[in-house]
Amino acid sequence: MFHRRRATMAAFLLPAIVVYGVFMLYPLARGVYLSMTDSLGGPIANFVGTQQYRSMADDPAVTDALWHTVLYAAVVVVVQNGLGLLFASMLFRRPGVRKVLSVVLLTPTLISPVMAAFIWSYLFAPTGGINALLDLVGLHSLNHVWLGDTSTALYSVAAVNIWMFTGYSCAIFLASYMSMPTELLEAAALDGASGWRRFVSIEWPLLAPALTVNVTLSLIGSLKVFEFPLVLTNGGPAGATDTLTLLVYRNVFGGGKFAYGVALSVVLLVTVVVLSSATSSLLRLRERRI
Amino acid sequence: MTSDTTAPDVPSVSGTRSATRLPGSRTTSGTSRTPLRRLTTGLGTVLLCLGTLLFVLPFVFTVVTSLRTAADVARSPLGVPHSLTLKNFSDAFSQIHYGSSTLNTLLITSLSCVAVTVIGSLAAYPLARITQHWSTAVYRLFILGTSVPVFVVVAPLYLLMRDLNLLDSYAGVVLIYTALNLPVAVFFYTSFIRSIPADLEEAAALDGCGAFRTFFTIILPLLRPVTSTLLTFISLQIWNDLLVPLVFLQDPGKRTVMVNAYSFIDPHTVQPTTLFPAALLGVVPLLIIFVFFQRQVVAGMSAGAVK
Repeated sequence: MFHRRRATMAAFLLPAIVVYGVFMLYPLARGVYLSMTDSLGGPIANFVGTQQYRSMADDPAVTDALWHTVLYAAVVVVVQNGLGLLFASMLFRRPGVRKVLSVVLLTPTLISPVMAAFIWSYLFAPTGGINALLDLVGLHSLNHVWLGDTSTALYSVAAVNIWMFTGYSCAIFLASYMSMPTELLEAAALDGASGWRRFVSIEWPLLAPALTVNVTLSLIGSLKVFEFPLVLTNGGPAGATDTLTLLVYRNVFGGGKFAYGVALSVVLLVTVVVLSSATSSLLRLRERRI
Repeated sequence: MTSDTTAPDVPSVSGTRSATRLPGSRTTSGTSRTPLRRLTTGLGTVLLCLGTLLFVLPFVFTVVTSLRTAADVARSPLGVPHSLTLKNFSDAFSQIHYGSSTLNTLLITSLSCVAVTVIGSLAAYPLARITQHWSTAVYRLFILGTSVPVFVVVAPLYLLMRDLNLLDSYAGVVLIYTALNLPVAVFFYTSFIRSIPADLEEAAALDGCGAFRTFFTIILPLLRPVTSTLLTFISLQIWNDLLVPLVFLQDPGKRTVMVNAYSFIDPHTVQPTTLFPAALLGVVPLLIIFVFFQRQVVAGMSAGAVK
């Protein structure tokens, strides 16, 4: 009787397996194969082995984009989670303003990346919001062409990412704060541990799982960033904000280098999987040691 | 990730579990309640409010600028508005074909949401209850999908859609979104069903209740909270996505809000008075949803973060 029941239950899996298999797993496998051909997207594809990957090594556009992608991710992960943690720890100590401010901080996450890029492209414009604000407070000397200078463009794009998701990071830390055992915090208060001491020796270890989640999520998210650089700079100036995703998009859909673009997307996959699994295993190990 | 994905206690939900009694609040232990400490706490609150204000400022600026005339903004970007106008909004409305593109986006988002929740919850039931090698393997295969960026499959998907004659069709886009979001749905639902004791189902089975009836009468009603959380998350993703509709919906009549905004508005050549209303129009439908489901949204965003 239970045997037949199990067969029926297993049948529940069919629709999911069909959709997921046809539109996710099959394209994934086919992508890996296509990256080893000279396909232009048409019916003809000759197997060329690792040729696409070998030509990447001599392509400065690719090495630059890989470096930009990793640098961008590093900046976003550190600053966004640092700010999120700072906000969360301050909010936790102030129940009065906690709810209101945490919800307010979450509002930027609701915007679409395209719309956020719209808003910030004006804020960053030479005569736009930020420069006008600097003039207002008498700091005209700090005026800058934020997106037009190769040394600041990538950081400016990262700033938009940080603005959008700091509230998200804060919400995760705050949820972790709210689930801390009250007795422990009270005991610490009775022992006179306060402020910084209490944060370092009690809260920080308890926040370890939240840190793992936050770092992993923001790392994956920032490695596959696409809309921000596309709308804000389209990879410019002089390729300073070219990321792997932009190169994939440009090669696959705009350059007659279809297979090369697919090979680049495999490089993106490997980068995401390697970096995110390495980071999350390291952080999990750390959780166990605490 | 953790196995506990029931909605965690979030500030908005728990009134009872407020902060512990900290030094500086009402403690009985006679620890420091010094004027200095009160001053630093107060200063911190001020700084905190200022910091939050910095995050909201771009929004405020966007709204105010949208309501001013272009000439007025050009004269002083941060000035006080002389007169307010709604003309920018009506211009943006027609420029990005807001009416039709909003309907298209709503259609795609809602169909994808229905497909993901139905197919995902059905699949999660056996994955949570059957403990055998093959089901663990299938579960792992689904979880693998959570770390695959859409960019990796976009090119082969394009060829597949072309071969299936699904380019430029809503069905194609909905199928892609369903496949992309299934891993998250399977993860959420499976961990949630695992946290439900199996006694009820076993009793139902002994009473001769089939797997189908058990699922629909016992499991499905329990999935409501996790479904609302999941829907918030997925609808945000789909509504705000640019890449999939940009690649798979070239027909101007079928385009979504984001694609139209991206194709009709070049942020480097247009005035902020064109740019900002378009950006706000793109956000409004979601804001309405957010206000309605505020609790689930906050819970959904921090779900899985708490052990």
